[in-house]
Amino acid sequence: MPKKILMAGNIAIAEGAILAGCQAYFGYPITPQNELLEHMAKRMPEEGRVFVQTESELAAISMLYGAAAAGCRAMTSTSSPGFSLQQEGISYMAGAELPAVLVNVMRGGPGLGNIGGAQGDYFQATKGGGHGDYRLINLAPASAQEMMDLTMLAFELADKYRNPVVLLTDGFLGQAMEPVIIRQPVTELPDKPWAITGAAGRPKNVINSFEMEPANFQPRVSLLLQKFERIKQNEVRYQGIHLDDASLVIVAYGSASRSALTALKMARQKGLRVGLLRPITLFPFPYQILADLAQKVSDFLVAELSSGQFIEDVKLAVGLDKRVELASQYGGVPLAPETILETIERMSKVTIGR
Amino acid sequence: MTLDTPELDTVLYHKPEALEDYPFHFCPGCGHGIVFRLIAEVIDELKIKERAVCVASIGCTVTSYHYFNFDGLESAHGRAPAVATAIKRCRPNLVPFTYQGDGDLAAIGTAEIVHACARGENITTIFANNAIYGMTGGQMAPTTLLGMYSTSTPGGRQPSRAGYPIRVCEMLSTLDGPAYVARVSVHNPAAVRKAKQAIKLAFRAQLANLGMSLVEVLSPCPTNWRVEPVKAMDWLVEHLLPQYPLGEYKVIPAVADLKKESRRA
Amino acid sequence: MHEELIIGGFGGQGVLFIGRLLAEAAFREGHEVVFMPSYGAEKRGGTVWCHVTISDEEIGSLFITKPTMAIAMNSASLIKLEPMMKPESLLVVNQSLAPQEISRADIQVVSVPANDLAAELGDSSVSNLVALGALLAGRPVVPLASLTTALEGMPAKNKELLQLNKRALEVGYTRAQKDAVPHGRR
Ligand SMILES: Cc1ncc(C[n+]2csc(CCOP(=O)(O)OP(=O)(O)O)c2C)c(N)n1
Ligand code: SF4
Ligand SMILES: [Mg+2]
Repeated sequence: MPKKILMAGNIAIAEGAILAGCQAYFGYPITPQNELLEHMAKRMPEEGRVFVQTESELAAISMLYGAAAAGCRAMTSTSSPGFSLQQEGISYMAGAELPAVLVNVMRGGPGLGNIGGAQGDYFQATKGGGHGDYRLINLAPASAQEMMDLTMLAFELADKYRNPVVLLTDGFLGQAMEPVIIRQPVTELPDKPWAITGAAGRPKNVINSFEMEPANFQPRVSLLLQKFERIKQNEVRYQGIHLDDASLVIVAYGSASRSALTALKMARQKGLRVGLLRPITLFPFPYQILADLAQKVSDFLVAELSSGQFIEDVKLAVGLDKRVELASQYGGVPLAPETILETIERMSKVTIGR
Repeated sequence: MTLDTPELDTVLYHKPEALEDYPFHFCPGCGHGIVFRLIAEVIDELKIKERAVCVASIGCTVTSYHYFNFDGLESAHGRAPAVATAIKRCRPNLVPFTYQGDGDLAAIGTAEIVHACARGENITTIFANNAIYGMTGGQMAPTTLLGMYSTSTPGGRQPSRAGYPIRVCEMLSTLDGPAYVARVSVHNPAAVRKAKQAIKLAFRAQLANLGMSLVEVLSPCPTNWRVEPVKAMDWLVEHLLPQYPLGEYKVIPAVADLKKESRRA
Repeated sequence: MHEELIIGGFGGQGVLFIGRLLAEAAFREGHEVVFMPSYGAEKRGGTVWCHVTISDEEIGSLFITKPTMAIAMNSASLIKLEPMMKPESLLVVNQSLAPQEISRADIQVVSVPANDLAAELGDSSVSNLVALGALLAGRPVVPLASLTTALEGMPAKNKELLQLNKRALEVGYTRAQKDAVPHGRR
């Protein structure tokens, strides 16, 4: 029988990374992800793996670059302000096609904001964030179990596509304790013939993101773009709840989707036919799934812990002729199910009257 | 026998003008409050409240600007010396100072403080060293002692994994830019008096356009050291003082002259 | 079963400890649980909160807006909790530190002088467990025995403290069962 224990989300990420064979971790303290770093401080040396508390998130991202270039599975974790600092390095990693896992336990912003949970880094994480033409695979867990499972998946996908993967979560999920089934450890790590391992018995390897001549650089970017297309084709993940008979669909991810689930149950008790679509991958975004849904549903409600970022992708997917409304909180304040329910009820009334 | 009672209208002690009527939110026994009061007294005595600017950093003193009764602003984690540099260069009449913790100044902000010193910026830095990341809950700071417990060095700081503590004053005083670099402490009244003298000299150096001045203040953090407030003072004396000797690490001749002046006065 | 519990009190009163303990016990009993602590700077000085949801279904919201159960360890948390309570819900009040009258008549109130009872046991720092014991008497979400088992699995400083914690649970439980004073009518 696999072990099942109560675990905070931040700890589940740390343990997930260890199970996935993460060989090196680099991080700088920032609330609300500190438990993750502190857990790694203890566990990584126990496992005989690398742990460095860096002098800044800038150093952390460059160490991550180095570890990934050396062919190691590696991870850094931070929260919003630290993620902003890392953008330059992330762009380099995407340009040099380095696989690594970046955890962003989002908090209230902009600026120093506060340590409450939030989803205000949506644009930054899903649209690139740093300079240049690139995308990051974005995974959005919604429970402590998924904090572990998607961390493990993040390492898989990073290696599969040689691309950085973001685990985009928030302070509330990071702190909440829930039952977690401990997964089996990954025992076989993929070969990385491209890695910096020393040019013994093979031609030398070079890792960079630079071409002096623009005409020569463009084909490199084209290859990246083709990769992002393959990711869009193959890696869309989502969960649907009560979509079959829904006349209104809530679209939400991460901890907002948890509030949405409660709102859905309350609405169903009132006889309202509400469904929930929860993207698990934010890049690639489930545009097609939503577009298909929009063939039979005309009311969509977006619940997010940001002031209208995620909703832009939903609108893009369902089309401008659909009704898409927002129930949100931002700046570190949790989203109460009642707030979502009110919007559901208002939308339902107006629909009947139409 | 008659008691010498002061006239009723003689004020012996009062809240410095430069302090706002705003309660400190620090933990009991925290050193930050003492240092804030010293800065405020110095600003009163130098009569520079209208020109002073507090550049807050990120740490337990993040809201420094609430406590001071003069202009103040936030800076990103570690970047306060760069912010202060720009303020001084754009408005040379202002008297900006940074208030930074050890995590802020000696980890994420190492580049900024080193280069502000190297440029000899005419600004002042008050550097509160409590050997720990206070605000985030007690992780290892660059100044955490060997063997010292922190939440990210669970078995005590080991040099093989986490390196050695940084002595900021010693390091920065090797640069040519700084005019005044000193380390003081606030563990007892005598130390507090000396700390105030150093802070005052640092501001006077800026007022005399002599270049960068930096005062490191050893400051207790009972919460994250996990000792009671009074014991924290003892702990500071026993553990921090040997690692971080008090004293003046750099005094350029012009600053030495300022010192002589004040002794004569 | 579906219960939503909020616990509030000062930092240092062990609010998070009893929330976590109940969550562990309920988890071991095979329920779905979410334990959501307040965190960070809030821990210093101000009121500490935690939310514990126990259910036989998949749990949605991590936060509780209308609790079916609550423990107010001090007066400040009682002021916040009373108006939030769901009708028919159970409110446990630490009478030692929250002596004020309660106006709501549509909720069940169990008052225990948790600090005084804990002091009688020799250590007022176990008032949190007295209050948790009282909660269980008012609504048996988990058997008392499973709480004591869970207690053994929690990090404790020493054996004596563990015994003291167990005693405190029992004292709160028995007191609330036998002679809980109707609140505000002492
Ligand atoms: C970019 C960034 N990374 C991390 C943080 C989190 N953070 C806030 S304060 C702090 C350290 C504070 O320690 P120190 O400078 O020693 O000040 P103290 O609290 O001890 O006075 C950290 C890491 C942040 N706000 N921004
Ligand atoms: S945590 Fe430490 S530095 Fe911060 S306010 Fe408390 S005692 Fe002061
Ligand atoms: Mg510090």
